[in-house]
Amino acid sequence: MNTKCCPHLSVFKATKGLEPFRIIHTYFISCTSREARKRKAKSCVCHTCRQARPRLHSCLSCVYFGCYGLKHIQEHAKSKMHNLAIDLTYGTILCFACGDYVYDTEIEHIAEAQQKIAEQWMGVTNSFSAWEPTDKEVELLQQNPKRRRLTANSTIGLRGLINLGNTCFMNCIVQALTHTPFLRDYFLSDQHNCQMRKDSEQCLVCEMSRLFQEFYSGMRTPHTPYRLLHLVWTHARHLAGYEQQDAHEFLIATLDVLHQHCKGSNGLSNSNPHHCNCIIDQIFTGGLQSDVTCQQCNNVSTTIDPFWDISLDLGPTEAETDFPNGIDKFEEPTSLTNCLKRFTRPEYLGSSAKIKCSICQSYQESTKQLTMKKLPLVACFHLKRFEHSTGYHKKISTYVSFPEELDMTPFMSSSRNHNNGYSEQVIREAASCLSSDYKYSLYAVVNHRGTADSGHYTSFVRQHKDYWFRCEDHLVIRAKLEEVLRSEGSVATGIKLAVHKVKQMCSNNNNMIFL
Amino acid sequence: MFFYSIQERKNRDAQMRATINQKLVVSGERDKLKELLRTRLIECGWRDQLKQHCKEIVKQKGLEHVTVDDLVAEITPKGRALVPDQVKKELLQKIRKFLSEQQQS
Repeated sequence: MNTKCCPHLSVFKATKGLEPFRIIHTYFISCTSREARKRKAKSCVCHTCRQARPRLHSCLSCVYFGCYGLKHIQEHAKSKMHNLAIDLTYGTILCFACGDYVYDTEIEHIAEAQQKIAEQWMGVTNSFSAWEPTDKEVELLQQNPKRRRLTANSTIGLRGLINLGNTCFMNCIVQALTHTPFLRDYFLSDQHNCQMRKDSEQCLVCEMSRLFQEFYSGMRTPHTPYRLLHLVWTHARHLAGYEQQDAHEFLIATLDVLHQHCKGSNGLSNSNPHHCNCIIDQIFTGGLQSDVTCQQCNNVSTTIDPFWDISLDLGPTEAETDFPNGIDKFEEPTSLTNCLKRFTRPEYLGSSAKIKCSICQSYQESTKQLTMKKLPLVACFHLKRFEHSTGYHKKISTYVSFPEELDMTPFMSSSRNHNNGYSEQVIREAASCLSSDYKYSLYAVVNHRGTADSGHYTSFVRQHKDYWFRCEDHLVIRAKLEEVLRSEGSVATGIKLAVHKVKQMCSNNNNMIFL
Repeated sequence: MFFYSIQERKNRDAQMRATINQKLVVSGERDKLKELLRTRLIECGWRDQLKQHCKEIVKQKGLEHVTVDDLVAEITPKGRALVPDQVKKELLQKIRKFLSEQQQS
């Protein structure tokens, strides 16, 4: 293998420059215009056998196209003495004189730049590129020769958390967060750049970063998250003190503080709260569409709101909120899908809650329907098991089943009002397709046992595929998937199974998170 | 008795493949599918497995003596065999969907 620029390519560059490579790359490898793509579609065939075969190469001297498998490009090179060819799939250069592909920094820079333009033009973001260590990273790797390899039975990433006095509400959520693949990738690749320069001690994101280091250090003794607790007390005052707290409330408060701290105190991105691009928003933010339909003129007014989690009602519905002529009165939901169906059905708002219709110019009775406009990478569901009415707190402990893989297709805004004929068929097909874009896979479940007034939180986390663990403060015990699915589930999280997305879910006795 | 020319059948299939390929390229769908495939293969560990295999071959033959052709010859059958059925099915489904959309518009 030749890793230095070969002499033949050097001669070619010296006499003809880089332009031939650039032109071929722009037109036949990374197309940056519709015209180029048309040309590519039409002319990328072997000039000898007239077929679009794999490993098509273009001669760098005369733009002859030939396939490699049937040796047409080789024959061309030999007969014409044109020794250099470009692979039309990857843009690498093959030198027939050297007998192998050759690599050249200048050429690679051009290819990289072209690739970027093409991706922008196509609207592809976050495309995959292999990791190339920088000089500094090479140095660090040489200084630290110890390597760790993950095996199926490795326990790395698993660590108990000491209970600091009724802090199981925090521990269970921390376990779910530290096993969120996208957060783990972000923090372990050291991508956080602290924005709170003056007092980075106060930055919760920095603390999360340290926490990930602790979890994935390979240490097996329980970790004491006192710094995290202190920061939470400082930034979310309502959670301060040694009383029992709600895990879901902690999750939301934590995401909120993390989101704030990502932006830092410079306020640059503060001007547009809905277009934040921080890691928390990238992973957790979804869009909920709310359609209010006027019963008089059927005018629909639509709003879209961001969400971090979805709180789902349990227990039977009250009659007054039902459709006047509604046939689908909802029984007490017994599965997550039921809960979601209930969440996304049209709801009659009642005669006492008239809404001003912009078409009728008057207050009219209306229906409201919520659907998913945009799904987050991590979907977090919270089952409202605690009922707080005046004078009493009650816990609804109905068993709610949830799947290991969740398909959100039926709850999308695009599925709304299309419950007929063809569209329904499309939806069914989409649902049966093995990995639709709306599929999530369960990765964490938070459970609560006890009553509405006092109890204990535990969680289940998926360490890697099919390896589940039950975390109860300092204890971490291997669990079976059946145990996870049998648990009551408060918060479940799932990860999306799309572009680098594996949706997973976590549930606790009251909440579920699907990442 | 009726017979059809197998050669003609083959030609037509090849023609159909070329047309589909052109449509995929012109619309940009091909690049999108490629990116999706890449993602799926990374997710399921296919890339790591093959990389490991390549490393072994390089070690065995010595960096100076191994060529891309050597690697391609050894890796291709293994690479093909290791693609999970699920991934193949998903890609096929996507191509079908694309074609039916093309037909409608």
